[in-house]
Amino acid sequence: MMNLMDLLKWIINLVFSPWLFVPLIFPGLVTVFIVILFIIWFERKLAAKVQLRYGPLYVLKQLGGAIQLVADLLRYLFAEPIIPESADKLAFMLGPIFLFAASYIPTVAIPVSKSFYAFRSDISLLISLGLLTFGPAITLITGWASNDKFSLIGGLREGYLTMAYEIPLFISALSMAALYGTMDLIEIVESQVGWKWGLFLNPIAAITFLILALMSTSRFPFEIVEAESEIVMGPFTEYSGILYGLTMGASYVKFYVLCLLFSIMFLGGWKPVPKFLSWSPIAPGVILLLKSLAIMVLGVFMRAVYPRYRIDQALRMGWHIILPMSIGSVFLSLGLLLWGVVS
Amino acid sequence: MSEERIIELLIGPQHPSSGHMRLVAEVDGDVVVRLKPNIGYVHRTVEKLAETKKYIQIIPLVERPSLADTANHNLGYVLALEKLLGVEAPPRAQYLRTILAEMNRIHSHFYGIGIHGIMLGSSTVFMWGFADREIMIEMAQWLTGARLTYSYIIPGGVRRDLPQGFEDEMEKALRYLERRLEDYDRIFIRNPVTRARLEGVGVLKKEDAIRLGIVGPNLRASGVPYDVRKVQPYCAYPELEFDVVVREEGDSMARLLVRIGEIKQSMRIIRQALKQIPDGPILSENYLKMIPPKWKEFMETKRRVKFPAIMANLRPPKGEAFSRVEAARGELIYYVVSDGSVTPYRFRMVTPSFRNVVLFEHLIRECRVADIPAIYGSLDYFPPEADR
Amino acid sequence: MDSRSEAGLESIIEKISQSLRELSTEIGTKDEIVTVQVEPDNLLEVAKKLKEIGFDHVKSVTAIDLPEQKELEVVYHISSLGNLDLAKVIVVLKARVPSEEPHLPSLIEIWPSSKYLEREEYEMLGIVFEGHPELERLLLPDDYEGPPPLRKEFEVKTEGIQA
Repeated sequence: MMNLMDLLKWIINLVFSPWLFVPLIFPGLVTVFIVILFIIWFERKLAAKVQLRYGPLYVLKQLGGAIQLVADLLRYLFAEPIIPESADKLAFMLGPIFLFAASYIPTVAIPVSKSFYAFRSDISLLISLGLLTFGPAITLITGWASNDKFSLIGGLREGYLTMAYEIPLFISALSMAALYGTMDLIEIVESQVGWKWGLFLNPIAAITFLILALMSTSRFPFEIVEAESEIVMGPFTEYSGILYGLTMGASYVKFYVLCLLFSIMFLGGWKPVPKFLSWSPIAPGVILLLKSLAIMVLGVFMRAVYPRYRIDQALRMGWHIILPMSIGSVFLSLGLLLWGVVS
Repeated sequence: MSEERIIELLIGPQHPSSGHMRLVAEVDGDVVVRLKPNIGYVHRTVEKLAETKKYIQIIPLVERPSLADTANHNLGYVLALEKLLGVEAPPRAQYLRTILAEMNRIHSHFYGIGIHGIMLGSSTVFMWGFADREIMIEMAQWLTGARLTYSYIIPGGVRRDLPQGFEDEMEKALRYLERRLEDYDRIFIRNPVTRARLEGVGVLKKEDAIRLGIVGPNLRASGVPYDVRKVQPYCAYPELEFDVVVREEGDSMARLLVRIGEIKQSMRIIRQALKQIPDGPILSENYLKMIPPKWKEFMETKRRVKFPAIMANLRPPKGEAFSRVEAARGELIYYVVSDGSVTPYRFRMVTPSFRNVVLFEHLIRECRVADIPAIYGSLDYFPPEADR
Repeated sequence: MDSRSEAGLESIIEKISQSLRELSTEIGTKDEIVTVQVEPDNLLEVAKKLKEIGFDHVKSVTAIDLPEQKELEVVYHISSLGNLDLAKVIVVLKARVPSEEPHLPSLIEIWPSSKYLEREEYEMLGIVFEGHPELERLLLPDDYEGPPPLRKEFEVKTEGIQA
């Protein structure tokens, strides 16, 4: 028979065990929510600064409206989710839920530090990128299920865009895997010793990966799937209430995952680990999170600068410019290996 | 199986970027096959109502259709009315009318640029356009007392004189706007995404523009140097120096650049007018002598006009009058027929947006769905002005 | 500069009056406006002649209801956009049709810019322009029943204080 102390210890052990902690708490579900709350608020504040206005201000005025998103989320929770009569009800309701889930599942394969990970595999880069490809298929189903012409056009646009960004994304990641000689995310971070960050070794791959991350998650200038002035809200036109809140967050979650991968491959991941953070295997993850947040801020700042591209221009850019650049980055990696810069 | 390739999209009144009108688009994949505009959603029967109102009451009525550009509408109607009455405004009033009309042109063009920006997806230009518009609106409020619908121009002159210190504040405002226009140039016009969206899109050739009767910056962007202020000058324009901004390409980028050029020319006109403005009365002699001396003293100190009693019951002699002015969106036409009573017999108003409606069918063909807002924004079409 | 443009204006007006003298019933000039009164049968001929001179668009089409004479008067204002000298002149074409059968030939073949203007006068005053490809409702709501609104028999309902 276990007494209370043992029960508590058992629960804490369970929660902190890696295979539960990583997908659910860090960098999983709880961190995802906190990051969305922060980054959407920061995007609105940053865009407002450029546009000569305040942005969110009144919710917790001393912090500059920082918990505005909490208020928004509560509003979405209490709003009535209206399901149109002529929509395919099951697909309509499950679409955003699966989309949100599919966007953050890849965090299960991302390690937090050298010794803290949900599972170790020597193809974890491929696993996380592969799990990201669920999103567009679910968007297509959502667009079809709404039974609305604008949603249909939006869903088809997502399908078309997938043709443009999926292949170069994998090739850029492949070039980094070739450079480090492994697809295991932990070893990729461990190989980036001293100044040899992926960003300086293979800048072409870094640039293409960043642009493709913008393209695949509807950041400006590639906000084509949800182009508000052309197709109302794209595949998510008919949504209201919490389902709409989920769709709004889904693209940010996917961007967050791609930024985590970017920090691991190009910015040295959780290295260098300062002395005061080496007391626990989870703590270096904070460095990883901060680097990803920096890249996310760079990505969302584009909203204040660029209008949006037309879909044929984005497709042309993906095939004529980005694909040759990513193939070039593969050759750059092979060249670096040949000249012995990286063993 | 492929019989139903064409989808009919109703870009109707409830759409983030359709304005108060409906565009019925037939779309094949991503290519627009045909577009038909369906206007009349905000028809407010200005022409019929004008037949029941007295001549001085028509001034606010005529301003309301085009809220972005009220002074030019006001000016056109009063010019027609003055032709019927046989009255002419004194020179100082003509200069004040010109200054207000040019201020109005500036803030109407900023509105057009802002709406064009948000239709392309750039919320930055939208916010900047509306913020910079406030400068001119607040100057107009200082001059006339109202922010948008001034009712400032009356038959025989204007309602108020220049306040003290107006010239210096206006100089500061114009310098601020010149710095802001440089920002627009760097962030919006030379932005590679904007250029990719706008260059070569919606090309209007010179012969088509003349044949379809297009007016305004849309016409001048296709190479036709037609501007009513130069063809048949009115108010103080014969004595002011300015250029007509003309571009040859005829695409959406050219229309945007013509509007920005016109803002710069308007600033030039305002500066000249404020330097050259003569002293004198602001209301015509015919009406000044009808005002009792007690009110004349009020007018001297407060520099405002007290309306003579006759204005409530103006009875122009039988006849007809035709006037045209260059509003911000193009050439504005008034045709007033009077039969000697206190209300007009027939009142006809042809607005520039109404004459530009045909461009929707003509330009948005064989282009992509994403070009619909790009071209719509570049035309600077204002639905309430077209529907009246 | 002014006197030369005045002389140019007068010569243009003289040329217009000369070429239209036979086809019209009355020609009057005042400042820059030339008023030409024609019969509805001669309207197309006069329009073609004006187009040859160089006038290339219609500025406005107005129809005036004259209930005492049981007639509708249609007034066209025509000018030029391409030719800056002719642009100063405005030609006013007037034609009268009976109220019972208001038919007029459409000028859309000669000047396509009259398309929407004629359509508006069709729905507001009931004038049928023969040959117009799209003569249907433009501004009024689709379910409006009743006489054409701008005729004098249609009275605006007012409440309270009379205007």
